[in-house]
Formats: sequence, C-alpha cells, structure tokens
Amino acid sequence: MRYADAARYVIDDPDKGVFRVHRDVFGDADLFDLEVRQIFEGGWVYVCMENQVPKPNDFFCTKIGRRSVIVSRDEDGVLHCFYNTCRHRGAAICHVERGNKKYHVCDYHGWAYDSSGKNFDIKDREAGGYADSFDACDHNLLPVARFDSYAGLLFVSLNPNVPSLSDYLGDAKKFLDLVMDQGRDGMELVPGRTNYTYAGNWKLQLDNSLDFYHLTSTHRSFVNIVNQREAGKSANQQVTSPNFQRRFAMPAGMFNLGNGHAVMWADQPNPETQPLWGEIEEVTSRVGEMRAKWMLRARNLTIFPNLQLADSTSLVLRTISPLAVDKTEMVMYSLAPVGEADDLRYTRIRQHEDFFNVSGLATPDDTIVYEDCQAGFVSADDDWLQCFERGITALKPGANEHASELGISPVASMVGEYAMQNEVSYHSAYQEWVRRLSGAMPQAAE
Amino acid sequence: MNATDQLRAATDVLAREALYLDDRRWDEWIALYCEDCEFWTPSWLTEEDISADPNREISVFYFKSRGGLEDRVWRIRSGQAAALTPLPRTTHQVTGAVLEGDVTADAMIVKSAFACHVYFVRNKTQHVFFGRYEHGLVRIDGEWRIQRKKITLMNDFVPAMLDVFCV
Repeated sequence: MRYADAARYVIDDPDKGVFRVHRDVFGDADLFDLEVRQIFEGGWVYVCMENQVPKPNDFFCTKIGRRSVIVSRDEDGVLHCFYNTCRHRGAAICHVERGNKKYHVCDYHGWAYDSSGKNFDIKDREAGGYADSFDACDHNLLPVARFDSYAGLLFVSLNPNVPSLSDYLGDAKKFLDLVMDQGRDGMELVPGRTNYTYAGNWKLQLDNSLDFYHLTSTHRSFVNIVNQREAGKSANQQVTSPNFQRRFAMPAGMFNLGNGHAVMWADQPNPETQPLWGEIEEVTSRVGEMRAKWMLRARNLTIFPNLQLADSTSLVLRTISPLAVDKTEMVMYSLAPVGEADDLRYTRIRQHEDFFNVSGLATPDDTIVYEDCQAGFVSADDDWLQCFERGITALKPGANEHASELGISPVASMVGEYAMQNEVSYHSAYQEWVRRLSGAMPQAAE
Repeated sequence: MNATDQLRAATDVLAREALYLDDRRWDEWIALYCEDCEFWTPSWLTEEDISADPNREISVFYFKSRGGLEDRVWRIRSGQAAALTPLPRTTHQVTGAVLEGDVTADAMIVKSAFACHVYFVRNKTQHVFFGRYEHGLVRIDGEWRIQRKKITLMNDFVPAMLDVFCV
C-alpha cells in the first residue's frame, strides 16, 4: 500500500476547485481487501426487495462482500436474515437464488433449520455421545447483525456498530420515495434479470451510473440509432427511447446526499416516451405536482455502496458485487409499478432491453470501457485521475433552490446546463470511502 | 418434398445462418429473415424456469420485426461501439436438427443445438455461449426463410457483453 492514511488517496480541496483520486484506489488489491471488510462487510448494504419474498417460507440468497446470506420469511411472516452456512461443518445450505422452503436441510450431515433459522434437528443426536457442553451451544443459523427495510427495500449490516438505516440513508430517502411511490399499489421487479461480470473495479460502475459525460462518446452508436428511429430510417419501431441529445440545452444537476449517496438529475426531453407518462394523472393526483415533476425527470441515484436506481429510458435497479479488485458482478432488474397496464409494461421492458441489458445497445459499451480503464490503471504508477472536476465551479455547499423544493439538506448541490456534464456527483462516494477506510489501514511504509 | 428433403432444406438454412454470421455476411444473414419475423431469447427467471411471456417479462433479446436485427447490423458496421471494436470473432456449431410439429410444404419447425465460440479480440479472452435453437421456417417464392427464431441460452451469466451474433 502506498499510503498508511486513506485520506492521502483523495485530494478534496473545493476552494481550489480540486478533487483528485489516486489510481491505486481502483487497482490496489490490498485496498480492495480493506474495502470489502470496511465498506461491504462493515456497514449497510442493499440485499433485496421485500416483495421478492412475499409468502411465508420464501427465501432469497445473495452475497455481501465475501459472505453469503439468506433472507427468509418465517411461518408467521416475519423476515429474518442469516449467514448461509451450516453450524456443523460450515457447508452452504442454500444453492439457489430464491425459492420457498419450510426447512433448510444441509446436504452434508443433515442438520435441519426452519425458515426462521432455528435448528430443529441434529441428525442422530441421541446416539451421538455429545457432552453437556454441546447441548449448551446455540445451533441456530447465525443472524446478521442488523437488518431493516425502507420503502420495501431490505438492507443488512454485518457490523452492529452502525447508525440506524433511516439515518444512514438520510436525504436519499426522498429520492427512494420518488422511485417507490410511482406505483399506486407499490413497485415490483419485472421477472427476468441480467447477471453479468466485467473485468474491472466495482467503483467504475458506481461512478458510471452518475456519469453525464460519457453519453456522446461511449454511447454514440445508441444515440445515432435513436436518431435514425426518430427519422424513420430504422424499421425497429418497437422502442421509443428519448433522444438524449436534446438534453444538452436543458437544466441538470446533482446532490451530494452524504454517506456516499448521490443523485444526478436532468430534465427529460421527451417525457411522453416514459412508461410513467401513461399514469401521470393518477400519479400527480396522489403525490402532488412537485413530486410528479421530479419523477418524470431523469434521476440516477446511488445508495452507497451497492444499489443504483436509474430512471431514464426505463427504470432500472442494479446491484454491484465486488469479486476482486479487477472483477465485479452485476445484477440488473427492471422496476415497475405493481399491476402496470400491458401497453406501458411493454414499453418499459423493450426500452430496458434496448439500453440496459448487457445484450443491449448501451451497457456492453460501458462494461468494455470499464475493462479499458482497469487495463489502463496499471499502466501508470503514481498518478491522480482527472475525472472528478467537471462542474466543480458550479458546486455549492448545502442546498440550492431545487433542494429546498424537495425539502432536503444535501452536503452539496450543483445545477447548470446538461452540457456541463458534471463529474462532481462522484465526490460523495470517495468522501465516504476515506471515512470508512480511515483507521483501518495497516501501518505501511510511505 | 419427402421428409429427408425437408430436413435437408431445414439444416441448409441453419448452416447458412451460421456461415453468414461467422463470415460477417450481414446482408445475407438479414435476408434469411422475414420482415415481420420474431427473434427471441427468453431470460431465465430462476435456476429452473425460463420466461414464457416477452410482453410481461424481460428477455435477453426480443424483436418483433427484422428492424431489431437491422439496428444491430448498423451498430456493428458503424465502428462507433467500443464493445464491437474490434469485432469479436465467432464460430457457430449447429447440430442435431430435428423437425417437430406440423410439417407442410411451406412451413416447418426445426429444433437444434448450438455452441457459439466467441473470441473477444479486444482483451484476448474467449467464451462459449450454448443452448438450443427453435426456428420457425416458411417457404416464400420457393425459398425457405426464418419467420421465428427462439434461442434458449443455457449459460446466461455473461462476461461483459453479449450480442445477437454471439448466440
């Protein structure tokens, strides 16, 4: 490790208009190990939606850092979350992403647990010749330290010493509400998801979802295909994605929401192309004109460290799992109002597939440039990346008029024309990165 | 046309599609398809279940006309897509073709197995996508064309990118 102090890796000097991150932050395997322990296993992370486990005995299995966990709804409807490992020999007891099981029985020696994680059978226990000390042991599946939900989204912290989920999310809750309140009867994940990896650091995805600046270069082919469809030069008329080029003369901005969370927003040039438009009267009457206006704006929200909700051509929910310093696994869903009309759902799905699928017209270009970045990080040694300063002169501490309208108190706000294509949305994550890694660094020579 | 001739006609379409994709003869590939064709790769919903409803569920690919394929070919040729520059090389192996369902002189369904070896030139890695094809073929003006293609992709855990020519 180059520095023993995490703060040395990030230069954050707003008075001079400087924000730089050392490229080791994306390429140093020792720093990655610390991130897994201090960030993913050290605080709140998103796991799944409550309505992915709607019925008694439904379960959902996922990973938090290195740890596999099971979210399970018990017989009485109470949600639990425990580590996916048998108390006997340690075998993983769950091998599928989701399902319904009253009992989880280990395939190895048959120890059995109910859907609340309680051990109810140790095979051939009576003949086992165990001492009293064994009987005194707790044999239940190990619960995670903290487990809570907000707006139907379930979060876990493997570290008990964290603020409440509500305090951790802070003003980001207002932006989660702008997503989760879109459906009169709530929101659901559209069945079918995309699961992919890329050979790059997890923070490349973290930043890219807030990146205005790459659209016209990385996604040039997508933008031109949309232009051709609009001009009637494409026979593919099943998709009516908005024309992002028209955004450039429109207002756009961002909020640093603290604790690593951030959101970028932009006015939508063709709101009528959004599936939400079909329900806008009902939505407006329910949530009011101000919030309906914000729901129609493009908003890409990052809940640090692993949840992203992007509302642009369609509404996407992504989770980020770090596998190695240079390997990341993604799961991506389309999020939709419960009971959405067939024609609106059809538009939503086709626009999701067209842009967001890893088999679509945009995401493959993102993943490939992430791999270019990862390859490039190691090509220079001691160097600071220059990708955090577009828009820095428009960045103001605290709230602006848009924040006041929403009733939030962000750490910092910025507004300007979309053409500024700001990069200051990423600051929040690296400020949190410094906080989370500080104090955890092993002593290293400088 | 007897059963053997009909199967031979079907396997000829499958072999030509593989040839045109691997040789990047995109216009000839597109021409195999009817304008109002359906091109569908359903997504897996769980370890055991695969989507049956492209209208209410996400697909890997779902095009209700040839226009969806033409967009892809435009993108391949544009030189504007990092994921396709340089273009990955492919070899499609298609085998085990059988006719199932009603076979008439002008329509048939042929099912086959495929493996598509993809060499991602940009980062010198390779991957095999594999699964099964179901082609709905129709004969128009004496030529067999693809009215419907369903690709069941068995390994849907994707390394970084997937495009129509990789399956």
